[in-house]
Amino acid sequence: MRDIWLSLPSGAQDALILALFLVPALAIGVALLRGVAPFPLVSAILWRFRWANTMFVALIAISVGMGIGLVAQERGLRAGTAQAADKFDLVVTAPGSELTMLFATVFLQPQDVPLLGGAAFERVASHENVEIAAPLAFGDSYRSAPVVGTIESFARHLSDNRIEGRMWRSSGEAIAGALSELEIGAVFTPAHGHGSALEEGAHAGTEIEVVGRMAPTGTPWDRSILVPVETVWETHGLANGHAPSDAGRIGPPFDPDHFPGTPAIVVRADELWANYALRSEFTRDGETMAFFPGTVLSNLYIVMGDVRQAMSIMALVTQGLVAASVLLGLFILSRLFRRQIALLRALGASSRFVLAVMWSYGTALLATGATLGLGVGYAATAILSRIVTERTDIVVSASLGWSEFHLVAGFLSVTTILSLLPVLAQRRQSVVGGLRA
Amino acid sequence: MTLDLTLKALAVTSDRGRRLLDVDRLEVPAGSLIGVRGPSGAGKSTLLYALAGLLEGLTGSVHWGDTDLAALTPGARAVFRARRIGLIFQDFLLFDELGALGNASLAAQFRPRKDRTDIVARAASHLSRLGVPVDRRTVATFSGGERQRVAIARALANDAGILLADEPTASLHREAADQLIEDLVALAREGGKTMVAVSHDGALLARMDRVLTVEDGRLVSDARAEAA
Repeated sequence: MRDIWLSLPSGAQDALILALFLVPALAIGVALLRGVAPFPLVSAILWRFRWANTMFVALIAISVGMGIGLVAQERGLRAGTAQAADKFDLVVTAPGSELTMLFATVFLQPQDVPLLGGAAFERVASHENVEIAAPLAFGDSYRSAPVVGTIESFARHLSDNRIEGRMWRSSGEAIAGALSELEIGAVFTPAHGHGSALEEGAHAGTEIEVVGRMAPTGTPWDRSILVPVETVWETHGLANGHAPSDAGRIGPPFDPDHFPGTPAIVVRADELWANYALRSEFTRDGETMAFFPGTVLSNLYIVMGDVRQAMSIMALVTQGLVAASVLLGLFILSRLFRRQIALLRALGASSRFVLAVMWSYGTALLATGATLGLGVGYAATAILSRIVTERTDIVVSASLGWSEFHLVAGFLSVTTILSLLPVLAQRRQSVVGGLRA
Repeated sequence: MTLDLTLKALAVTSDRGRRLLDVDRLEVPAGSLIGVRGPSGAGKSTLLYALAGLLEGLTGSVHWGDTDLAALTPGARAVFRARRIGLIFQDFLLFDELGALGNASLAAQFRPRKDRTDIVARAASHLSRLGVPVDRRTVATFSGGERQRVAIARALANDAGILLADEPTASLHREAADQLIEDLVALAREGGKTMVAVSHDGALLARMDRVLTVEDGRLVSDARAEAA
């Protein structure tokens, strides 16, 4: 049994779980509605209390939508940030906070970070298992877009080699990110610093021409402008990483003696397993620190997961409260309907029929609300995702997953079972008492 | 098909132990029209509800033909009502959201599928016989007379042999009440139904075969209509 289950594709497992969640509701429906046709009465009640019903449905939809929107949004955020870190297998920096360095490199958030020197870079770059060792020199900007100095192979790696125009060939040329306002052919002068710490005019005289554009990556790097790292160094009046005899060179190898320093090195190993060896090798006391951005993020998700659980519980409590208020409404309604219910019994309807009427009515509200809730949740996620994407440039996509459908199905099944209670509670009431009410 | 009614040693006691109704013996041959009168609270409605099998905890027997309602479970009594009894109430008790036909054929919603077409057909034919327009309007817009006609069509839609009416004309003005009495009596006679009608309305009682008088929960007189 377990083997069969495990052999199923995950989509089939999820679909089966969904079906399982809906079984109780369907079973009750079949048991109650077998051989009776209470729909004219049900629609009459729905119509009679249409304003109250609309309110109920809206309440259910909003509470369900909030719950699933939260789950979906959190997952989208995780997927988006993980995707943004995807190209950064291993990052080597000066010792400090991994989180700070993660934000600085992967998410291009301006941070004050110490530099790694030429010897440290050389050790990384010359390691036999290192395929790419890309210096990342950030700190400059152009109209709030970060200008990052690096090497050609990283630019190609980052964009999966989808570059429109051409790659830079000399210092003073740049590749713009997909969302950059700079078109190919544009010429700009970078500013020193970023945001409030901006020093306009510090680099006056430097002119950089955009010669290519990267395809979208869905990361904050889409707003950035990549330049040869030599350009950054030269702009700051530093050596350009190469010995004077090799002064026109762009890209590695760099001469350790003329290497001005870089805040971070992105490392790509030739084999996946080598990453772990490289991490321990490059993590040296007081000298360098190496970390997997993916690991730092998943630690962050664990913390976020606790928050998410707290929020999920709050959402569940909200849903529970709304369900309770709906049940209370049903209870009041079945009191209001006491005479009509007594009439049905007097005319010879079975108590199952009466139960079927009230259950169908309650379930119609709950099912409509839950279904609309999926829409509300989707819309909320889509709007939130757009805001997050706009603010962070991390592409967060809105999508409803199986767990949201499971949540809604579970909510529906539980509440639809509970909706029997108000009617069952009054089942023993005398028909004559009801007729005289 | 209509049925003889036989009550024996019927006693109904309220929840608080008060004796509401005490009938030693009552026999009504099938097809009779019986009026029940008496002061308010004397037990007329209790008698009617006992005949309909709507009361719990009564002693004695209520025989319709061979069926003793007092010996049946509530569920079995409901089935008996659905098949054999048509009920008419003072304030009509219609579903305001449904139209004339929807109300008159209400039983089609809970009766077995095979009976549904017949129920709807009978409801429609009784409505047309009673002059109630069958259109898209709900009964909420109907006059009292029209509403009670819909209730009569509902009571007849299951082709029951027994009609039980509780003050059927009390909510109607005189003219509408007289018209309704005509129709009700005519339909009961034509269908050979046994009818028991609780009423204060002399015009209705005058059209019955017999009139029972209930006082303090007892049958104090059982008279031919002419003598009433």
